[in-house]
Amino acid sequence: MTRRLPLVALAAAAWAVAALYLWNTSVVPSSLRLPHVDSHRFFTAAQLHAASSYSSVGVWLWVGGTIVQLVVLAVYARRGERFTRDSAAGPMGTGMLLGMIGFALVWLAQVPFTVLELWWERRQHLTHDGYAATVFGGWFGLGGAFVFLCVALAVVMGFARLVGERWWLPAAPIFVGLALLFAFIDPWLVGGHALHDARLRSAATRFERLEGVSRTPIVVESVHQTTTLPNAEAAGMGPSRRVILWDTLVDGRFTERELDVVVAHELGHLARHHIWKDVGWYALFAFPGAWAIARATRTRGGMARPRAVPLGLLVLVVLNLLALPLQNAISGTWRQRPTGWRFARRTIRAARSRSSAVSCRRRSTSRTRRRSTTSCSRTIPRSSSGSGWRRRGAPPSDVRVILEAWKLRQARTADLAPASGGASPPP
Amino acid sequence: MHEHPVRLVIGGDLRRYRPTVFFRLLLAIPHFIWISLWSIGMVFVVVVNWFVTLLSGTPSKTMHGWTSAYVRYTLHLNAYVYLVGNPYPGFMGEEGEYPIDLRLPERASQSRSKTFFRIFLAVPALMLASALGGGFAAGYTSRNGRSKFAGLSGRGALATTCAFFGWFACMAKGEMPKGLRDASAYSIGYGAQTLAYLLLVTDRYPDSDPTAMLDGVDRPPEHPVRVVGDADDLRLSRVTVFFRLPLAIPHIVWLVLWSVATLVAVVVNWFVMLFRGTPAESLHRFVSRYVRYQLHVSAFLYLVANPFPGFDGAPGRYPLDLELPQPMRQNRWKTFFRFFLAIPALVVGSALSYGLIVTAFLTWFVGLARGEAPWGFRNFAAYALRYAAQTNAYLYLLTEVYPHASPLEGAPTPQHEFVEAAAA
Repeated sequence: MTRRLPLVALAAAAWAVAALYLWNTSVVPSSLRLPHVDSHRFFTAAQLHAASSYSSVGVWLWVGGTIVQLVVLAVYARRGERFTRDSAAGPMGTGMLLGMIGFALVWLAQVPFTVLELWWERRQHLTHDGYAATVFGGWFGLGGAFVFLCVALAVVMGFARLVGERWWLPAAPIFVGLALLFAFIDPWLVGGHALHDARLRSAATRFERLEGVSRTPIVVESVHQTTTLPNAEAAGMGPSRRVILWDTLVDGRFTERELDVVVAHELGHLARHHIWKDVGWYALFAFPGAWAIARATRTRGGMARPRAVPLGLLVLVVLNLLALPLQNAISGTWRQRPTGWRFARRTIRAARSRSSAVSCRRRSTSRTRRRSTTSCSRTIPRSSSGSGWRRRGAPPSDVRVILEAWKLRQARTADLAPASGGASPPP
Repeated sequence: MHEHPVRLVIGGDLRRYRPTVFFRLLLAIPHFIWISLWSIGMVFVVVVNWFVTLLSGTPSKTMHGWTSAYVRYTLHLNAYVYLVGNPYPGFMGEEGEYPIDLRLPERASQSRSKTFFRIFLAVPALMLASALGGGFAAGYTSRNGRSKFAGLSGRGALATTCAFFGWFACMAKGEMPKGLRDASAYSIGYGAQTLAYLLLVTDRYPDSDPTAMLDGVDRPPEHPVRVVGDADDLRLSRVTVFFRLPLAIPHIVWLVLWSVATLVAVVVNWFVMLFRGTPAESLHRFVSRYVRYQLHVSAFLYLVANPFPGFDGAPGRYPLDLELPQPMRQNRWKTFFRFFLAIPALVVGSALSYGLIVTAFLTWFVGLARGEAPWGFRNFAAYALRYAAQTNAYLYLLTEVYPHASPLEGAPTPQHEFVEAAAA
């Protein structure tokens, strides 16, 4: 252990330096001053209260779901070994089976929370999804998750059989490589069509030049059949990078300037290399995380043995949970400050003169301006694909309250005049 | 297990008279008219009999006789139309008048609860019977809001497919291939059992076990591609049953990837066999593993076996396993035209797959409830998988012996007899 100490210290120091670098390179330049947003100036107290209560239900559902998940995994870690008798697949195949069953049981235990959440969202008119479609879709969707899980377990168990306890050393870089791969191919998986709005396209071209991310495709993803919520995201890296706008964002409900802000915001993500940095953060967590799993599963003979897989799953989920505050802090930083710096200066300056569209930080009394509040606050980056670390976290607190209020009001008014853009006059 | 009270009796031989085969459907027109009239009458009879059975616990003697004759007549007619039998059937459905016959039970008391829910209880059996065939439906369809007589229509993928290919074989050779005859007989037999159950002739549920259905029929010669396993192992884990489809997805992905490599290997092996007359041993082994892996995955997916299979298709690891032949010399002509020759087998296999999907769907519910697969469904599914494996082995050049469609397991025979039989 004494001999390893310098090595451990060196690794820790490298980790800290890398984390510091990633953190610092995401910080807003000091020259950029963000205006204070007072949500009470935009919404009534009743709306804000409704938004807050809407949000609190989501929080409780999350807490309940997480507790159930942990309980199920804890029980499974203890008793999951019995499923080895349902396998004729050898050690690795059996490990995959145990991993998949663990995931499946967690999904099953969370079905009530999923249904409750859906009920809550449907009650607020935020989604059109049906209960059966959601539950059965989740059941079928498990298949896709299982493929990734099998690949991951094949890597882990394969290396564990080859190199023993130190499997995490070769396995972690492979996971990082896979994360890079998925971040790269994500935009192609999403699909979508080219943006038809010539004005917005030309504005985007201008912003791209400003941000130094020329020739970034802007595509529109069709989501209107499942949700009314607007959103946009930056995805991909290198040749696959693009900005993806939900078609609910470009359906005429938002002003040109509001859309400009959204596009500039997403281009800001690309200009600041947030997707690369997201993978970087993932890499920073992958090594210690894999090491922790390797240590924790020693009591079960290590990850080379199928019986260690249920415990490994539990450890993985606990680690994810522990890392959540830090992940939220990182994504919060990015979300708060992604808009391209040069464009941001302009828009904020304009906001101060009440003529532009950084509407989540702006006083406004016009219908369209108020709607755009959300378009800005909802432009949360989806910086990577379905490898399990896609983030669509909540905006920072003040913006979050505005968002929730907007969602509620938008949903309530959408039925009245969805085509004409719906939002009621401000109070 | 007790013998099913509705028993299929298969007599006669495989010879068919070509002129009657050629005009078979036309010759059956009087029967179609007659059965449609009889079916209309039977609707009233069955409804009255249902009330009688509910009240007294036993069907009416007269109506039981009529219903039995009707069920038997439908079997005779199906046997004639699907080329299972050769002679022209009579119109009254009398016992013993046709070589393909049905032994039906005497009138007996029946459970009132089963009688009350009979139409709902029969739904799973009707689903499988529809997939297999051997039924005729008379009824009306609505088009543009108007009711319109649709006439009689044959149902069932398996029986129809076997009859279709059997028709050509009969025209060419004057003889119905045994495999197709047995498969059709099984299909119409199951249809008859289902009808007997639905029409209150018996309260015993139809049994889809092919071996029980074709009891007494000669077994076909042993095929070099055989499915082996523990026949009595019906256990299913409820958790893995519930998630069976998602659990199989990684295997399906792997199977797709593997099939790309197999396709290349088969093409290369095809050239090798055309030149040498024998397959390349390494390619033969590679493709054998693929075919065996296909069986393992299908057995898992369709709930024929319980354990999660391995990803390598290794022999002897899975409870339902596949025995495949060693590489041996094959006829170059058969090799050259292999793909075209395999088309009928592929069509029959796809017809069987309808039944396989139905049994898997039903087994899913039974497995969740009871933790084991129903014997009949499991055995039918094993038959379908065996045929699929034989077809794959034939298509992928592992053997030149054509797949045998008979639901019965092949009987071991001396090699020379086997070769003769296969050649025949």
